[in-house]
Amino acid sequence: MTLQTAPTIEDLGEIAEQVWSSYLDPEGVNPLLPFEPGDSEKTRTRGESICASVSITGAWHGHVVVSCSALAGRHAAAALLAMEVPEVAQQDVVDALGELANIVGGNVKSTLPAVCMISLPHVISGVGVDSHWPAATQVCELVGEWLNEPVSISVWQSRSDRAEAAS
Amino acid sequence: MKILIADDSRVMRQIVTRTLRQAGFGDHDLVEAGDGREAYDKFMAEKPDLVVSDWNMPEMTGIELLRGLRSAGEAVPFGFVTSECTDEMKSTAEAAGALFFIVKPFTPDGFRDALSPLLG
Repeated sequence: MTLQTAPTIEDLGEIAEQVWSSYLDPEGVNPLLPFEPGDSEKTRTRGESICASVSITGAWHGHVVVSCSALAGRHAAAALLAMEVPEVAQQDVVDALGELANIVGGNVKSTLPAVCMISLPHVISGVGVDSHWPAATQVCELVGEWLNEPVSISVWQSRSDRAEAAS
Repeated sequence: MKILIADDSRVMRQIVTRTLRQAGFGDHDLVEAGDGREAYDKFMAEKPDLVVSDWNMPEMTGIELLRGLRSAGEAVPFGFVTSECTDEMKSTAEAAGALFFIVKPFTPDGFRDALSPLLG
């Protein structure tokens, strides 16, 4: 069975707000500032960036991706670990972004009304890193700035799922 | 009391530790495990009074850990802290003997509500 429903940018906005208010900005002074739809090019980083994803399989197939600049990743790790940014190690950044993808992915999965499984996180980092899913298309993306650094949260659905839902 | 925290993310184990402190449970002894298998082994070695576990972990998942402990005759209070929460997962967890289900992202209030009946 393939679901015709898919998460929306509004779903991502609600999930992001919970994540920021709980972990990344509990005092409410540095919120994620979303861009308007269509401004996603603003988030494309030219320097080093980090991209974390989880895959969802079952009645719905796709990926949930959290990506940001390397500096935003360091800020995220510092916030999650209650450390100062200079103290953050690369392993902390990988762990932090993987956990953020896991949290966002788990909450996205909860918006899907049928049985699905979620994978462990996969994290890549480097210059020019961006998410490419040849067998999937992007269904929604929340893009914005956090601490003047680009952040993107996106959901990708399997092309075969979408084709089946459209037929 | 001794609390075992099982999560494959060091970041999340630290957040759970911090949240326990913020929720007023900072005086308890904490033991950490980085996956379900390690949690099982740590449980047998440390005999904690409460297990707080992630669901999705390598080596052994949280539900496999819970079932493994029950199969070994261990009736320790056990609850999940996980990013996923569906009715089916809750039913599965309760049927296996879980006492609470805390969803990430969580707050100290969520921990207080879930753990106060167990920790006082």
